[in-house]
Amino acid sequence: MTEVNELKYSKERKVGEGTYAVVYLGKQMKTKRSIAIKEIKTGLFKDGLDMSAIREVKYLQELKHLNVIELIDVFSSANNLNLVLEFLPCDLEVLIKDQSIIFKPSDIKSWLLMTLRGVHHCHRNFILHRDLKPNNLLIAPDGQLKIADFGLARSLGNPNEDLSPMVVTRWYRAPELLFGAKHYTYAVDIWAVGIIFAELMLRIPYLPGKDDVDQLDVTFRALGTPTESNWPNVSSLPLYNALKVYPPPSRQEIRLRFSAATEKALDLLMSMTQLDPSNRCDSTSALLHEYFLELPKHTTPAQLPKKGGVQEDESSKRRKL
Amino acid sequence: MTSKDNDGSERKSSRVSTDDLYRRSTQFKLWSFTKDELETIRKSSNEKGKTYANAKFDKVYERIKAEQTDIFSKYGGAELSKNVLVDLITLQEERKYLNFYSKNIIQAANFFQMPTQVKASAMAFFKRFYLFNSVMQYHPKYVLYTCLFLAAKSENYFISINSFCEPLQKTEPKDVLDLEFIVLQSLKFTIMVHHPFRPLYGFFLDFQEVLLQPSPASSDITIDKIGQLYDQAKKWLNDHGLISDVSFFYTPPQIALAAMYDSNPRITEKYLRRKFLKDKEPLNTIKEEEPDGVDAQQKDSLPPKGTEVFDLLVKTIRKCVEDSKTSQESTLEESTKIGEKCFFANNPEKLINKKIKKLKKLEAQEQESPQEAKV
Repeated sequence: MTEVNELKYSKERKVGEGTYAVVYLGKQMKTKRSIAIKEIKTGLFKDGLDMSAIREVKYLQELKHLNVIELIDVFSSANNLNLVLEFLPCDLEVLIKDQSIIFKPSDIKSWLLMTLRGVHHCHRNFILHRDLKPNNLLIAPDGQLKIADFGLARSLGNPNEDLSPMVVTRWYRAPELLFGAKHYTYAVDIWAVGIIFAELMLRIPYLPGKDDVDQLDVTFRALGTPTESNWPNVSSLPLYNALKVYPPPSRQEIRLRFSAATEKALDLLMSMTQLDPSNRCDSTSALLHEYFLELPKHTTPAQLPKKGGVQEDESSKRRKL
Repeated sequence: MTSKDNDGSERKSSRVSTDDLYRRSTQFKLWSFTKDELETIRKSSNEKGKTYANAKFDKVYERIKAEQTDIFSKYGGAELSKNVLVDLITLQEERKYLNFYSKNIIQAANFFQMPTQVKASAMAFFKRFYLFNSVMQYHPKYVLYTCLFLAAKSENYFISINSFCEPLQKTEPKDVLDLEFIVLQSLKFTIMVHHPFRPLYGFFLDFQEVLLQPSPASSDITIDKIGQLYDQAKKWLNDHGLISDVSFFYTPPQIALAAMYDSNPRITEKYLRRKFLKDKEPLNTIKEEEPDGVDAQQKDSLPPKGTEVFDLLVKTIRKCVEDSKTSQESTLEESTKIGEKCFFANNPEKLINKKIKKLKKLEAQEQESPQEAKV
């Protein structure tokens, strides 16, 4: 990594501004490769460098994978920290919302496969992402999906350490987090991927809670209320409540919900959205699931649908902070 | 590692092992060295520090000289000459001084009751920082606090800057925060550190599995004994593993095994034998000679045998134990003396003014009792 080298990159235009960073689009001068520069404001905060910035740098420096956003370089300018990231013009949320695009089952399989590969790489490196959602799954010009935004990520290792349950964007938050668990595992990421899988099939958010309380209701109305019988010791979690006990959905009910899905697709979906985290599959078994072996084969990234011919979408970039 | 399929999608052509993952870590790529490499880097950083301190000195010296022409015309060639005044820190002294300060990190981390992970990362940051910087450029006092503060954030043990500085003597938030960016830059923006504590815990579990299942390897190896070994090894890592240079030379699991080996060589060796030589005990049985020539050529192409792995591992572990105990110890007097030199290298103005003051005082005394002074 180079230390100070502003001349290596051009900043062409500002595409967004967040609480702790400004994002510019530009080029790597030597290769003319398009890049995004995330300029992290320093000296603004009472307690020095922002934790999200520290996490992002910490994890992206270690994770090099086709399905994880590439941190190309880090450099400093006038006491600002600059992250040079690969330029990713689109994200999965934009595609899901674009009614003009039709998703084929093989397209969904391809996006899910790439997501799981990226997640598997994080988990192999003992890293939890903790904020998986369509908006954080960026799409490269060649169709590859890349996991981005590691501002909430952390290493998992010491079982004695408390973790914060206030992670993951609400709609993708696993039930153990909704119940305020201070100890949780990679299963929180798997849950989120499962919900994204459902959203890819439905084209609308699967469990859109209006607030944290509503999220519990929405989640359990769809998947059943956790009880001691289907999730031993669940009642000892800090925020556990079973005011309304919804029965778990029948297989037939699930089939009706996802009318286009094959039985194997439903198997995988259900395996990823098990209420009890210890029953949820891990990234390895998800990748080895028969769903990925049955026909149709996943679409190759280059052939995946793209945002209606538009090279870059500014409104989506703006939200990517 | 991946190859393009003819349909354009990526397909793995070889598996990525756990060792491969470590080799891809920044700890391995940027922060692992041979002993010679480390020595060269430190030497050049010490030189860099001297150059920096000299330049800083010259600037101040010229200014004061211009301001106080009287005293310089009198003593400029002798007591106030640059050669007499400047006394910079040697490589050896620098190493000793940093070793002394390393211990302060442990004290400070313990004071704040920070988890081992924070303490160990702060120590790694501090050691890495001074590979490429000298105490003559940045005084270790503040660097150490900045490393600790940054490590706390990096390891999810956030503490506000005010609560951090409050109990520290003569340390303002600004002192710590001003260095944060400089430290991060010296760390080449890599802050993930792999420590031997986690592999040690793994070995603690695996020792039980390998040595107690299905029946104890020997009657005196019990779960309590292994627990004791684990505690001793943890202490060893704190006492020897953190401060010494071993983290630059060995992988975390190697250091963890060294900690166990040095705490109890007998049990550790037993474990390694069972693990790598399967159940081929007793080892002392005479092996059949391989027919001459037949195997000689094949040997290279064969995967390493259990015995080779075992031998190499034991050799590595022993070397690691040895290296862990060659840190640069210094007495309190020595550190105080180096500390003074360090202070003046960082503050040449104070050094020169101190000398001038002393000379003036002497002059004043001379004037009061000229006869005596002449004697």
